[in-house]
Amino acid sequence: MINTFATLGAVSQNLALGFSLLTIILLLFYIKNNDSRLFISGRRAALISAALVVIATMVLARELIVSNFNLEYVAHYTSRATPLLYKISALWAGQAGSLLFWVFILAIYVLIIIYQNWNSNQSLMPWVIIIVTTIQLFFLFMTNFITNPFTPVEAGIIVADGNGLNPLLQNVTMAIHPPTLYLGYVGFAIPFAFAMAAMITKDSSANWIRIVRRWTLVTWLALGIGILLGAWWAYQELGWGGYWAWDPVENASLMPWLTATAFIHSIIIQEKRDMLRVWNMVLIIVTFTLSIFGTFLTRSGIMSSVHSFATSSLGPLFLGFVFLILVSSFLLLIYRLPLMRTTNRIESFISRESGFLFNNVVFIVMCFAVFWGTMFPVLTEAVRGTKITVGAPFFNQVNIPIGLALLLLTGIGPLLAWRRTSKARLIKQFSWPIMISLVGLVVLLLIGMKGYILISFTLAIFVTTTILLEFVAGIMARKRRFGEPAPLAFWRMLRKNRHRYGGYIVHFSIVLMFVGFTGKAFDKEIEIAVRAGDKFHLDGYEFELAKISTIERSNHFAWIAHLRVTEIGAGPVTELFPEKRIYFHRDPDQRKRQPHSELDIHTTLMQDIYSVFSGYDSQTESASFKIMINPLVNWVWIGSYIFVIGTLFALWPQRRKQ
Amino acid sequence: MKRSKIAVAVVVVVALFLMWITTGTQGKEVPFLSVTELQSGNYDQSRFRLGGNVKVGSILISKTDLLDMEFILQQGEATIKVHYNKTRPDLFEDDCEVIVEGEYRKNEFYADNLMTKCASRYEGDLRDENSYDLEKI
Repeated sequence: MINTFATLGAVSQNLALGFSLLTIILLLFYIKNNDSRLFISGRRAALISAALVVIATMVLARELIVSNFNLEYVAHYTSRATPLLYKISALWAGQAGSLLFWVFILAIYVLIIIYQNWNSNQSLMPWVIIIVTTIQLFFLFMTNFITNPFTPVEAGIIVADGNGLNPLLQNVTMAIHPPTLYLGYVGFAIPFAFAMAAMITKDSSANWIRIVRRWTLVTWLALGIGILLGAWWAYQELGWGGYWAWDPVENASLMPWLTATAFIHSIIIQEKRDMLRVWNMVLIIVTFTLSIFGTFLTRSGIMSSVHSFATSSLGPLFLGFVFLILVSSFLLLIYRLPLMRTTNRIESFISRESGFLFNNVVFIVMCFAVFWGTMFPVLTEAVRGTKITVGAPFFNQVNIPIGLALLLLTGIGPLLAWRRTSKARLIKQFSWPIMISLVGLVVLLLIGMKGYILISFTLAIFVTTTILLEFVAGIMARKRRFGEPAPLAFWRMLRKNRHRYGGYIVHFSIVLMFVGFTGKAFDKEIEIAVRAGDKFHLDGYEFELAKISTIERSNHFAWIAHLRVTEIGAGPVTELFPEKRIYFHRDPDQRKRQPHSELDIHTTLMQDIYSVFSGYDSQTESASFKIMINPLVNWVWIGSYIFVIGTLFALWPQRRKQ
Repeated sequence: MKRSKIAVAVVVVVALFLMWITTGTQGKEVPFLSVTELQSGNYDQSRFRLGGNVKVGSILISKTDLLDMEFILQQGEATIKVHYNKTRPDLFEDDCEVIVEGEYRKNEFYADNLMTKCASRYEGDLRDENSYDLEKI
């Protein structure tokens, strides 16, 4: 049984598929016959198709909100007791819904680009619409025929109450993490479509790059925020004390972000110097392919991952789609190679271009390292017959030097001049940063730092100095030229060069994150079983389990540990209250009750004291804890905020000169 | 001239990094075996990964040390005893799907890493009466 609204959703979804097909046919005919009425009709069909997708998604959201358990999807992921926010977030909690949500975001994007380019880029637009509609068609095919969110429950069954959403996922961060990632994943479809359209229409200029630059930055920011939210949530909720596990699905989101980072750097060279045309094409193709590949890794069940959905028939389809994108776009690129040649050359090793080039190389290498480790089980199974995994130790070992190379380039690159850097400029730019870094190096050596930690902190000092000096030099120049006081000069300098200084702010945020990553090397950890009154020690701190209290809240029961933390020789620091909760505690069926460890963290700029109440036996009154001292981890989150601020600053529309 | 120099530099850098990455797996490889494979081969004293389900009713937790635990890992007909004495994930329970990593000694498995994947929590089956509140017409 299915009601009117659900029918409307299902029908909208069907019609959207039809209108997508119609869009492609009309626009292909327009390209062949050049009859502008066909273009107008094709564009109209694309708008209708996008609107239908929006309607279908809204209907599914409505059904989730009103708890229409006649739909299998609604019964799977929500219950009457699920709070409203999580009823809505159930839209992307499951496979069928999340695929529809994918198309929904694409549809919104399609509406935006059509509106933005209503009267402009008329030669590119037909192809752009054809390409994004083809992508939309693929996803609509799946939501219509393979995994339909509007599937009714089996005949003869009435579901009185749904399954409900996992309490782990009932967290605001977790509600916004997937859609933010999707905004990123899906967003790369747009620069990809413009790139392909440029090649098809033999437009070898940097025009497509100017159109998509801001778009790419927004998408890149969204993907970055999505990744960081996931890391933050894992740290705050999962209780293993880390924020990045090199899980296949995490890696799947990092890979397109890395190639996109390379892309937003290298398009600067194409805009300024008309170089790297082919390379930029390769980067956007790879980035978009990796976005789809990421969705494939999550959906196919090919990787054992905490994130993956149950094994489904979607795998081969996705893989086929990835293959189709790669083959067709690279064939097109090869076919257009003669058009893409440029006469400009990199003139010197010590030039901005060369800095960007090596930055690109290192980003791609890092992406490959992540890819290699992620796919290693699949590759070894194919070659040797045994699935061999390489865990976090591989990723950390391999990526640390690559990351440090990137950090070094972050400092050097922006100081180099275009074309070639004179010796005088080199000395002027680098003498102070090098001297200050050397002083830092000596101090770090004296306090006993060594190895990668020493290199990482020294590079952090180096990059920070170069950025600070750039700001100082900019302010001084304005003071001399316009006689402005320093604060005014600072503000105007930022406002007049949003890209440049936004970029520096982002670079600085990366430095802070690296400081946080490096802190990981000093982590201390203890796992222990104790009783009330017991004391134990970790890294100069004494922990006393004062008592365990109980409380019953609306949707769970909790044991609360009272952990007194004292710094040995210094006195009390804080009291931590990690909880052991049982969700669905009133459910008569034991198996439906679900334990959850709610952790507690004492955060300072220097370190986190991280406590997990991992187990409790009420008969023996024995409690087990996992306690960690995580130095500098807060800088990862502070860096994250600055990363967002810097990117938004760079993105903010610049007022045009009259 | 310059172009070829830069190209050579890029190729060298890429080649070095690729060597670094592909050799980086050495010593970090952990084979993912089935219980039968592990028990039939001569695999003593090395690290492995195993996947399977927790046999219902097999979880034994020490009365003296809450962290100390053993359970039977089931893979179809094959079973193996697994020891683990670290923090257990919240989702660890009877019949739960787990992946363990650790060493194999004298027909028993000593895990130092335990990952759970309780699919049922995320993807309930409508026909499973336990996962739903159902009323048959």
